[in-house]
Amino acid sequence: MKNSHSNCDVDFAIRIGGEGGEGVISAGELFAQVAARTAYHVFTYITYPAEIKGGFSMIQIRIKDGKIYSMGSLVDYLITFNQQAYNRTIKELKPGGTLIYDPDEVEIKNDINAECYPIKLTKLVTEVTGSKLGKNVVALGVLGYLFGVEFGILEKLIIDRYGAKGEDIIKNNINALKAGYASGRAINWKPKIELIADPDAKEHYMLISGNEAVALGAIAAGCRFVAGYPITPATPIFESLTDLMPKVGGRAIQLEDEIASLSACIGASFAGEKAITPTSGPGLQLMGEQLNLASMLELPLVIVDVQRGGPSTGLPTKTEQSDLKFAIYGTSGEAPRVILAPSSVEDCFYQTIRAFNIAERLQMPVIVLSDQSIGYRKATVRIPDFTKIVEVDSSIPTDEILIPSPERIEIARRIEMDPTKLNGYKRFLDTADGVSPITTPGLSGGQYLSGGLEHDETGKASYLPNVHLLMMTKRFKKLETLSKAFEKNPPEYEGSEDAKIGVIGWGSTEGAIREARLLAEQRGILFRHLHPKVLSPLPERQVRHFLAGLKQVIMIEENYTGQFAHFIKAKFGIKPIEIHKSEGVPITPEEIFTGIEKVARIVDEAHIARL
Amino acid sequence: MKRTLQDYKSIIEPVWCPGCGDYGVLTSLQRALLNLDIAPENIVTVSGIGCSGRLSHFLNTYSLHGTHGRAVPTALGAKAANPNLTVFAVGGDGDGLGIGGGHISHAARKNVDITYLLIDNQIYGLTKGQTSPTSPIGVKTKTSPHGVFEDTLAAIPIFLAYDVSFVARANGVDTKSLTEILMEAISHKGMSIVYILSPCRTFPLLDAKGLKAILQPLPDDHPRDIKMVAMERAYSDRPIYTGVFYQVQKPTLEDRLQSVVKKVCDKTNGGKKYTIDKVLNSFT
Repeated sequence: MKNSHSNCDVDFAIRIGGEGGEGVISAGELFAQVAARTAYHVFTYITYPAEIKGGFSMIQIRIKDGKIYSMGSLVDYLITFNQQAYNRTIKELKPGGTLIYDPDEVEIKNDINAECYPIKLTKLVTEVTGSKLGKNVVALGVLGYLFGVEFGILEKLIIDRYGAKGEDIIKNNINALKAGYASGRAINWKPKIELIADPDAKEHYMLISGNEAVALGAIAAGCRFVAGYPITPATPIFESLTDLMPKVGGRAIQLEDEIASLSACIGASFAGEKAITPTSGPGLQLMGEQLNLASMLELPLVIVDVQRGGPSTGLPTKTEQSDLKFAIYGTSGEAPRVILAPSSVEDCFYQTIRAFNIAERLQMPVIVLSDQSIGYRKATVRIPDFTKIVEVDSSIPTDEILIPSPERIEIARRIEMDPTKLNGYKRFLDTADGVSPITTPGLSGGQYLSGGLEHDETGKASYLPNVHLLMMTKRFKKLETLSKAFEKNPPEYEGSEDAKIGVIGWGSTEGAIREARLLAEQRGILFRHLHPKVLSPLPERQVRHFLAGLKQVIMIEENYTGQFAHFIKAKFGIKPIEIHKSEGVPITPEEIFTGIEKVARIVDEAHIARL
Repeated sequence: MKRTLQDYKSIIEPVWCPGCGDYGVLTSLQRALLNLDIAPENIVTVSGIGCSGRLSHFLNTYSLHGTHGRAVPTALGAKAANPNLTVFAVGGDGDGLGIGGGHISHAARKNVDITYLLIDNQIYGLTKGQTSPTSPIGVKTKTSPHGVFEDTLAAIPIFLAYDVSFVARANGVDTKSLTEILMEAISHKGMSIVYILSPCRTFPLLDAKGLKAILQPLPDDHPRDIKMVAMERAYSDRPIYTGVFYQVQKPTLEDRLQSVVKKVCDKTNGGKKYTIDKVLNSFT
């Protein structure tokens, strides 16, 4: 199969659509696991309703023989369980694609340009199990046959997945799987692409979600304390960590709300532990007062905000990049903190580790801004080599700590006070970089007072004008320290130096923008793409370097008001064209390309002329 | 070298009004710590906002003066992270029964081994006299200029209902018995609340003399492990009982966390902790 995006031989997408509660997503994820065990890469995209049962639910699985940056646009294979799923997704089936549908549930139009296969999913499952439950497993069987997957592999997946639920459940599911597989055989399909297991895949790649990658990153970073409160779509991070923490000797505690969760993290950090709390926008908002306190106490901790559509309860299960301003500025007064935005599933792992390093070395809260689309997305990522984790000594300066990457993972801890030099110890000593060595409870002579009231270098409350100025300056100096350290990092942009157009995005849109760039280059339009991982403080010189020579900047965000654009406009005095998508679903490479093409026609005639 | 009371005092002088009940609480706590010979470096004191919140400033411990109402979950985090520490939460009636009241039940469910000093002066004293959850009905305050119209919160029955594993009431002016109760509370394995009546001299609702007249120690034969007896005596307003109402032994948060670690590691890894590689395997 040739694909339209690049020169790869294999690149196709499958979508399964149905009703919430029908197991659409679990069937899709099982199939994605099969695909991930081959030599191909896998990337899933999920949309599900906020209700327990009912509502439209779907999973899209893209499979490619190379790295995948986005969910793609149109799909090659579509399986629809019901009319609603059909109506909502049929327009996204590629012309000439394959449609599998349940003819008892779905009425299709006669004139669609697709190979259509009616398979009575509901009837088949009712015949073998006596229940309507399990048509997702029938669909898995159909897909398995369609892609030449050995039946035994599918059977093992079912046993692994439902093993704990008892023999009857397994038996029913295997019967449903057989029925699906047989119905595929009856059609006499010849697999266009065979998904053949590749032993190398298991050794080098794993299929995980962004949320799981955050949890794994926290463990790798040496975090052994999580306190949290369930909130969609961050809950899977908390679920993973409550499972993993006891296994590695750490502590996982569910608290009564987000305020208590961050309070407990502050307590744990004060006692010397690396602490994390996962949340989403409404939870971050509740945490405001304690976020402020952590900044004032100068304690390291990591908050992960898996953003969802807002405001208020908003769109709990949909994606949006709309907590940026709150993350940077929210809270009373001016309390420095650092904002990181991972840009892919794999990056969730490395940015979480980086967040701990920054929090520990700078003694301040770090907020990791993920979002629903990246949190629930599953992708094949290279298995990190944990033997490469190196704990860096406190003598290594902060700006020499490497950004965690597959090549090397450095883990840092807070700079502790030398126990032999405690005479005259000042917890909040003003230093050149703003960071004051800290003591941890248990160390004799290291006792100190720390509080949310403005305080002098010893920690004693003080409202004197000069003290307030000194301490504000000291706390903000840490951001400058960090900003300087970031300037040393390699530039975070890609694309042609000749481009007249620059595109700035952040977070989960990186893959879609990158695909749009490749698409644009094929058509002769050049642009440079900046995608900072650290949103605040920004490495200003790097951004200026990126901006140099550009005629027009385009900013792409998944929110209504252009939050990062506000920030960039104020800092750099530029007037970008802003593309906002605020529909709860991720922006696609085609949407981005269309926007950029329009701009190119105005500002980049030289390149457009070659079209 | 033997420790003295001085070892528990910070270099900061208390700033409460003359005659404030909180002086008695501070002294009693320092004495209790000295009597139990707990090293200051192994103590964490987390306090909330209000006059009582200042208590952490005057102790030579690892002291964290946090936000309004969050002393208990903050203390919980410190204790959970390092169970070897002796951890206090300190706050007033506004902190613990108003803004932060919701946290107590959940700390009690976990039975975290901290000692919570809830110091009640029936008024928001630091901000100069507004109504608190325990201001008596009918009295005039700055925010109840025509008299308080809500009922007064009964703290001890609430703590009993939450099954806090150690519940005591004390007279903050009577430092001798407060010291003794604090020593018991600190020694108790699990969450202990010492609810301390501490008269405010500047906005006097509880006056020390009147208080003395209506306070009475629980009978010597008070059974600490029978909740219904404790409950009945907790509701008594003439006399108002002081002493330990209730004490039971149950697993602490640390016990519970350790049992999870043991259960999961025994069941899935031959009793050993997972290596990082093994964690990774659960994803691949």
